[in-house]
Amino acid sequence: MERGAPFSHYQLPKSISELNLDQHSNNPTPMTSSVVVAGAGDKNNGIVVQQQPPCVAREQDQYMPIANVIRIMRKTLPSHAKISDDAKETIQECVSEYISFVTGEANERCQREQRKTITAEDILWAMSKLGFDNYVDPLTVFINRYREIETDRGSALRGEPPSLRQTYGGNGIGFHGPSHGLPPPGPYGYGMLDQSMVMGGGRYYQNGSSGQDESSVGGGSSSSINGMPAFDHYGQYK
Amino acid sequence: MDNNNNNNNQQPPPTSVYPPGSAVTTVIPPPPSGSASIVTGGGATYHHLLQQQQQQLQMFWTYQRQEIEQVNDFKNHQLPLARIKKIMKADEDVRMISAEAPILFAKACELFILELTIRSWLHAEENKRRTLQKNDIAAAITRTDIFDFLVDIVPREEIKEEEDAASALGGGGMVAPAASGVPYYYPPMGQPAVPGGMMIGRPAMDPSGVYAQPPSQAWQSVWQNSAGGGDDVSYGSGGSSGHGNLDSQG
Repeated sequence: MERGAPFSHYQLPKSISELNLDQHSNNPTPMTSSVVVAGAGDKNNGIVVQQQPPCVAREQDQYMPIANVIRIMRKTLPSHAKISDDAKETIQECVSEYISFVTGEANERCQREQRKTITAEDILWAMSKLGFDNYVDPLTVFINRYREIETDRGSALRGEPPSLRQTYGGNGIGFHGPSHGLPPPGPYGYGMLDQSMVMGGGRYYQNGSSGQDESSVGGGSSSSINGMPAFDHYGQYK
Repeated sequence: MDNNNNNNNQQPPPTSVYPPGSAVTTVIPPPPSGSASIVTGGGATYHHLLQQQQQQLQMFWTYQRQEIEQVNDFKNHQLPLARIKKIMKADEDVRMISAEAPILFAKACELFILELTIRSWLHAEENKRRTLQKNDIAAAITRTDIFDFLVDIVPREEIKEEEDAASALGGGGMVAPAASGVPYYYPPMGQPAVPGGMMIGRPAMDPSGVYAQPPSQAWQSVWQNSAGGGDDVSYGSGGSSGHGNLDSQG
């Protein structure tokens, strides 16, 4: 079914968008810089240290940081999976290509309507036009919730209680924590980020109970200890 | 080290579990048909494989929507906004970008990386490998229409390998199923990992590798447990799920 549609159909977007050619011409060179960064990542357990020469750093700016990319990849891979260096670099290139591809389509719409600013709606429209239908629905929910938070922040300044709490007040204790977590988001979030990076097993955070386990342990224990409680808590969902 | 065959220590095998090739040949009874049984069996098995893959991807999207509905922290992005903006502005025609656009892209790119990684990993599993390689990504790009714009990123030889694999499988929609006597659809393929690459990769992976208890089936169980967590959240049950969400944002 995936192969039912002829590939020639999708050649039009590529021909329309000149970005592909630009990106393609830049592809060979950054391979070297990617290798350097990948090595640095391995040595520092995923913490990227920017020590490259200026030219390499500038080329690397065209890609997402490899540590972030690897962390996201690991969220969906089993813990025994390994990722080769060329796979990491390829995903990096694919992400930049994706951003340029969608941005190019969104920008064409802006120019057609004689607008200068690319908005979130333009990007969602471009994704829909380019076939990323699965993305539009969750991203619409995402950006709408983001706007709700922004509005609530304004309300909070005026002394009104955040509507988020009212909305989720009846859902039990689960959402009391996040609501309380909002006031000091920086330090708490930063701490959790550190823990995630130290553990190196971001996959566990996909499961509520696993996340709780790691929080209780405090992130100082070895992975093997965390592994066993995770199995126990899986049983709760079976 | 890990035994992928029927290693269900932590849970009973779910219906959507993705077993290895040998298990598939034993589990699925060959349906009776008029044409050659071998070819038909291979085709049917491959079709079943595709169905399972579609199920897993559907679970992924369902889970993503549930997770996004619980997002409360929009400050800790998985990807830096400044970098996204810089890539967007690489196109000279792009003039102004609203503040929401990079935030939306941060989430979109996360979904993109997750989908591409899942599709690539499915290909690695088909070849009974545990290391995600570039040709797995090439295969995912070849098999997915919306990823056609990425064809230029992977070399043609990677794509050619995928075509060879499709021919060997005999179930590819684009390739006419030849009357080959291949009973399995897991032909040994895929270039061996580069020794240097493996040496580089091993030190970083050793810790998780040593403690990696769950086999590939754990990957499916992760999604199912996550979906279960989502259900709990929707029912307002709670504590652990809410806390987990916070952790996922951290």
